[in-house]
Amino acid sequence: MTGVLLRAARVTRRFGAFTAVDDVSMQVQPGEVVGLLGANGAGKTTLIRMLLGLIAVTSGRVDLLGGPPDRERRRRLGYVPQGLGLYGDLTVRENLSFSARAYGAAVPALPPALAPHADVLVRALPLGAQRQVAFLAALAHSPQVLVLDEPTSGVDALARAALWDTIRAQAEQGAGVLVTTHYMQEAQQCDRLLLMSGGRLVAQGSEADIIGSTTAVAVRTDDWARAFTALNAAGVPVMLEGRAIRVADADPAGLAEVLRAAGIQASLQPVPATIEERMLMLSRQARAS
Amino acid sequence: MKAMIVKEFRELARDRRTLGMLIVMPLLLLVIFGYAANFYVSSLKTAVVGPQASQVTKMLPSFFDVTVTEPSGTQADAETLLRDNKVDVAFVTGQTPVLALVNGSNLFAAQSAVAALNKVGNQVKTQVLYNPDLKTSWVMVPAIIGLILTFIGTIITSIGMVREREAGTLEQLAVMPIKPSRVILGKIAPYFLVASVDMIIVTVLGILLFSVPFNGSPFAFALGAAIFLFVVLGLGVFISTISQTAGQAIQTAFFFLLPQILLSGMIFPLEAMAAGVRWIGYLLPLTYFTMISQGIMLRGAPIASLWLPFVVLTVMAVVVFTGATLRFRRDLAPGRPASPARGEQAAAEPVSTT
Amino acid sequence: MTYSVRSATVRFGSTVALDDVTVEVPGGSVVAVVGGDGAGKSTLLRALAGELALDAGTVETPPKQRLGYLPASSGSWAALTVTQNIDFVAGIYGLAGDELAARRAELLDRAALTPAAGRLAAQLSGGMRRKLGFIMAIVHRPALLILDEPTTGIDPVSRIDLWRLVSEAAASGTAVLMSTTYLDEAERAAHLVVLDSGRVLVQGPYDRVRASFAGVVTQAGRPVRADWSWRRGRVLHEYWPEGQPPAGTTTVAPDLEDIVIALSLARRNMVPS
Repeated sequence: MTGVLLRAARVTRRFGAFTAVDDVSMQVQPGEVVGLLGANGAGKTTLIRMLLGLIAVTSGRVDLLGGPPDRERRRRLGYVPQGLGLYGDLTVRENLSFSARAYGAAVPALPPALAPHADVLVRALPLGAQRQVAFLAALAHSPQVLVLDEPTSGVDALARAALWDTIRAQAEQGAGVLVTTHYMQEAQQCDRLLLMSGGRLVAQGSEADIIGSTTAVAVRTDDWARAFTALNAAGVPVMLEGRAIRVADADPAGLAEVLRAAGIQASLQPVPATIEERMLMLSRQARAS
Repeated sequence: MKAMIVKEFRELARDRRTLGMLIVMPLLLLVIFGYAANFYVSSLKTAVVGPQASQVTKMLPSFFDVTVTEPSGTQADAETLLRDNKVDVAFVTGQTPVLALVNGSNLFAAQSAVAALNKVGNQVKTQVLYNPDLKTSWVMVPAIIGLILTFIGTIITSIGMVREREAGTLEQLAVMPIKPSRVILGKIAPYFLVASVDMIIVTVLGILLFSVPFNGSPFAFALGAAIFLFVVLGLGVFISTISQTAGQAIQTAFFFLLPQILLSGMIFPLEAMAAGVRWIGYLLPLTYFTMISQGIMLRGAPIASLWLPFVVLTVMAVVVFTGATLRFRRDLAPGRPASPARGEQAAAEPVSTT
Repeated sequence: MTYSVRSATVRFGSTVALDDVTVEVPGGSVVAVVGGDGAGKSTLLRALAGELALDAGTVETPPKQRLGYLPASSGSWAALTVTQNIDFVAGIYGLAGDELAARRAELLDRAALTPAAGRLAAQLSGGMRRKLGFIMAIVHRPALLILDEPTTGIDPVSRIDLWRLVSEAAASGTAVLMSTTYLDEAERAAHLVVLDSGRVLVQGPYDRVRASFAGVVTQAGRPVRADWSWRRGRVLHEYWPEGQPPAGTTTVAPDLEDIVIALSLARRNMVPS
């Protein structure tokens, strides 16, 4: 089916005096993986709940598969919330059986990795395996849209890669995927990114679009602990990356001055900024206002 | 919808505590009501005091089970026997008509006694002590005081402890330099205070609203209540050490609470229960506190005559508290933990994903 | 002062959670522990915290008074405010009066929590709550600080804040042991430990770990051996332990994520199940 799978058109949501989502427009097409980024409280979860039809919009419009998100349309949607939505006191097989029947789909076969645990209670499984089960349950009815809320939080590198394999495979088969994540490496695996801050959509597009005009400077020195302390004390947004210290949106001359005053020998070098640094600057702006 | 039903059944099958309640509770209630529910007391402990006591004893119907015959005794002696709850009825001879003193604090026994004595007619003058109008409220209020303490002690305390476990903050307490016993005492102190205040309020209200007397020593009453509180608070702590969630804790606490309501003598008199069920009543702390509260409030009994419930409650307090503390210490102190940390759930089960 | 577990073995029933593990945590440095579920991270941390007894091996850990611990769960009491939480913990460690007030103000400022001081812990965002748990763990200036996945599920900005707090603690002499699923954090640590099924796969400073990594990692659109490949972004990486990739494949310099995954795969594929 062609056409936009998920759409938000100038969507706003208010809770009393508080605006959780402010005039956000976005869409998800078939075959693409869209990453939704933002700090806690940026409005990601509220936006998702409106897209799913769990809460009403205050103004604007939300489309799921071409129309309002009603029960019929949600049948073709797969959703994995942060809490996984599994029943801890049921086995893997029982969980899959329940969700398959609820959607009117066939019970999915277990992949070799999970097959030995078919009759194990879900709450006794390690987190990575639980996430796999949650995925299976969401995919059993071949959904056209997948919405995943932090699907790999707390999972180790190997299991994370396996989950992303599944996400990619779904996209390749034509589904549209909306993912929220705090892992910047995963952001790089998405086709397109959306960055929210304070309820607004502040940037969208490629990684470069998200980073925008943020700059960064890498400070290389043997005396990293003291350099870190000195820069931190100066109120500079400093962060560690490997052995180097990174400062976002900084004036190299000002940094050099601080380091010289602290008697630290260091070399400064402009480097490409990261998404995290853009988010750091956004949060500093929000705090200052 | 069928999927929903199947799922709920499966979850229920795994939830042993709820299953226990669903199956055991009705059986328990049936058995109790079958064997325990009996308002009619079939025999009364009786004393006969005064001249020709033995002859009077022989004349009494078998309904009056004479345990004390004291020819040289006086009316004061008879009253003491009643106050100390040694007998339900005391006949004082040496006068016409014979005086029958009835222990009004044992409501059903007293009602049975009065009914029987009325049949005897003018030869006997009946006088009900401690509860002259045989009011139910006078007997109930002292028992309800105990019930409230039990309620607060078990149900509410058990939740308070489980909260730490559910929130995951128990781990932090474990590595802090704070002794497990201090954690327990610190946690139950507020409940002790609240329960005490509640008790005072109910007692005062009971006295004001229902004119229930308070004939005995407030100090003795407070002492008994304090010991009893320790027992039920200890029970609350114990329940929290065997529960993973607040829901489980409440279920378990209910399990401990319900028998105490039915079998402590509060509703159905212990003497009237079939022996097979009565012994359960003697295991329950509320039974003994009710003895204390009724004895002190209605009869003005001294501690000495209430030594049995005091001693039993003290022993219970020590046992329950020690048991609860030991179990709790296992949760807090270094050693083999009862279960591995949440993130390592898999490590405990022989399950590997690779 | 260096704290450590040496040759530690811990069993839960029939499962071996830690198998002959030796890890040292020197004062003033950050040691990061990584590994999958069931690898033994939490068990290692709890062992060093003195929370569980070992079946074999020894633990050198400071007395409770000088130990700070942030568990994997929330780390704070939901029904108390930020200030009340700090006061409670500080009280247990013996801080009081002006000293307590000064320390509390200092920590709230460092964690950027001062505006939220009167808010209930339950009303804080995940990142703020972790930061609160962190400052509660260091309120008494511990000699050893143990953090169990302090940054899991936290937004990137709070992660940076937390890492800054960790660095500050290390810079002031505290020994820090933390577990993480973020490999970029592990790279920043002075010393990292990779656990797998209760054993140490490799440990050391990141440079040394990278240098001692044997074998080659290649990158391609499709893998040659499915068992030995994993997804990185749009491409697939593949591990050749013997260092003999077929001609025509592109070699890449492995980062820590590659190394950890490659070593886990090696263990999985070579160990008879």
